[in-house]
Amino acid sequence: MVKVGIVGLGTMGRQHMDAYRQMPDVEIAAVYDHHTDRAAAFAQEYDVPVADDYDALLKACEIVDICTPTYRHAEYALPAIEAGRAVVCEKPLARTLEDCERIVQAVRQHNTPFMPAHVLRFFPEYRAANRLVKSGALGAIAAVRMRRGGDFPRTKSDWYADFEKSGGVILDLIIHDFDWMLWTLGAVERVYAKALTFRNLRHLDYTLVTLKFKNGAVGHIEGTWCDPSGFKVNFEVCGDSGMLEYDSTRQVALQIATRAENGAGGVQVPESPAVQNPYYLELRHFVDCVQSGQTPEITVEDGYNAVRLALAAIESAQTGRVVRL
Amino acid sequence: MKVKVGIMSFAHLHADSYAHCLKTHPSAELVGIADHDKQRAQAKALQWETQAFDSYEALLASEVQAVIICSENVRHAPLAQMAAAAGKHILCEKPLMTREEDGKAMLAAAQGAGVHLFTAFPCRFSPAFQQMRQLYESGAIGELLALRGTNRGSNPGGWFTDPAQSGGGALIDHTVHVADLIRLLTGQEITEVYAETGNNMFHGAYDDTAMLSMTLQNGVFATLDASWSRPKTFPTWGDVTLAAVGARGIIEMDMFAQHLVHYDDRAERIRQAFWGDNIDYLMVDEFVRVVAGEPRQTLATGEDGYRAAAVALAAYRAAEYGMPLPVRE
Repeated sequence: MVKVGIVGLGTMGRQHMDAYRQMPDVEIAAVYDHHTDRAAAFAQEYDVPVADDYDALLKACEIVDICTPTYRHAEYALPAIEAGRAVVCEKPLARTLEDCERIVQAVRQHNTPFMPAHVLRFFPEYRAANRLVKSGALGAIAAVRMRRGGDFPRTKSDWYADFEKSGGVILDLIIHDFDWMLWTLGAVERVYAKALTFRNLRHLDYTLVTLKFKNGAVGHIEGTWCDPSGFKVNFEVCGDSGMLEYDSTRQVALQIATRAENGAGGVQVPESPAVQNPYYLELRHFVDCVQSGQTPEITVEDGYNAVRLALAAIESAQTGRVVRL
Repeated sequence: MKVKVGIMSFAHLHADSYAHCLKTHPSAELVGIADHDKQRAQAKALQWETQAFDSYEALLASEVQAVIICSENVRHAPLAQMAAAAGKHILCEKPLMTREEDGKAMLAAAQGAGVHLFTAFPCRFSPAFQQMRQLYESGAIGELLALRGTNRGSNPGGWFTDPAQSGGGALIDHTVHVADLIRLLTGQEITEVYAETGNNMFHGAYDDTAMLSMTLQNGVFATLDASWSRPKTFPTWGDVTLAAVGARGIIEMDMFAQHLVHYDDRAERIRQAFWGDNIDYLMVDEFVRVVAGEPRQTLATGEDGYRAAAVALAAYRAAEYGMPLPVRE
């Protein structure tokens, strides 16, 4: 049995818990959240032990899974790495580049298994697109467009609305697309971004980012926390031998629509059924790596590079200048 | 009395569409055509059952009241100046010019001669765009915060890929329509532009990929994908889309979404069979009516054409210098 501890028991903590529950070789040895009431409720619901403090969690497990808000990643990751634990850390790697550097240094120094949880790489549609592009099926890539977002994310503490904590739509949301692009197309030369982030509009954030890759391709990312029609993603990749497109509103395998009790409006929920969900695949991969000694597919440097690119885009949006990497 | 119209050059493929609009318009007459390519003039005259004039001068010396200019982009200025000097009203294909000074000269020539100079921006006439404009003006999405547009296409080839004749590549070909829609929707000028260009699609000495980032005078920002990035197997020529993001909601417009999907075994390809309104006809119709003396409503003026093309010209400079630059007035 591999002993796993989860710190941060909000939306992502639950998502990861659900995935671990499907792994017969994983034991949730401890969970921790500095909101003690939330920890207690979580422990009761999932029948797992609560650690009295973070040190107790570190002592109880081999793998630490960090699901806290971004600005607290380093604070939990560093002691875990220093204690020699294998660490899987939610994206973005950290809120600041300095924190990212500390994490990278610690991982190198202690040589511990580490994976930033860029779960998009385990979404089958994004994985298939990466494979096709890398196989050369599209030829030389000229243009790539990605879109992600929906309405503003709401949580009890509303930490997404605090730029200092979340980094806004550019760092928190489209970090997924930054990572996918870096993974698929390689290094970025420069970035130019426009955003609402610094207009301080309550619960509205939006960005349009333009990128130039070292291989000559041009990229565009739309990130929105302004779209009341619900969460949607799409992308297209154009090469000299073909093009791929995906639109989560069009390629829908299953939809259920139900009428409300009172006969008034219903809710439509699109589904993408799969044998295993991306969170399971991601965490299964990391647990396998820890057990086999293999290097995880997503490295700490990948996590660093995605944050570096996102922060460069934020700098561009803030200064109005093109930022070279 | 029918309005007598001539076409100057068929270099641009839109000339065929305009010829068809004129031939089917109840109060217009396609009097004749002229082209520096004499063979093309003969062939097109035969196709459209009209007269081929030996020269532009001969066409302008005829009874025509107005001309539509569909030459290569760099010839727009000299042809428009000739037509203005001959006292003919002008509808000029986009982009209006490939250098700011040419655009200024065209505007001055038309004004000096007292003739109308319009720019061929048929997208203005799209019912989808018109309804978007009404929704926006009614306050449906609240304060406007950002815009996202695309005008992607396939590579038209020929002179379009010769910067000496077209003024560039994809960027100058596909910036102006959406730049014009943004100006018309918002009533704001585009004051600053940044662009990334590339040539990984066709590897030629011209840009086939172009991503513009624009700022309006009120601070609203917008991006526009002007790339020739549609592959050969794409089911249609391209797209025109514009999304408006507001404080209370969003409007998404896809101008050519009104189509059937046609799985064509004979051609061994999938195509889109468009069934929406013919925006070229709506534009030509207003041109004909304005020449006949009615007031302008939706037609883009020469000034509109200048402003939109100036965005493309500034975008080329921004791409060259790697920094956002002002659009020249």
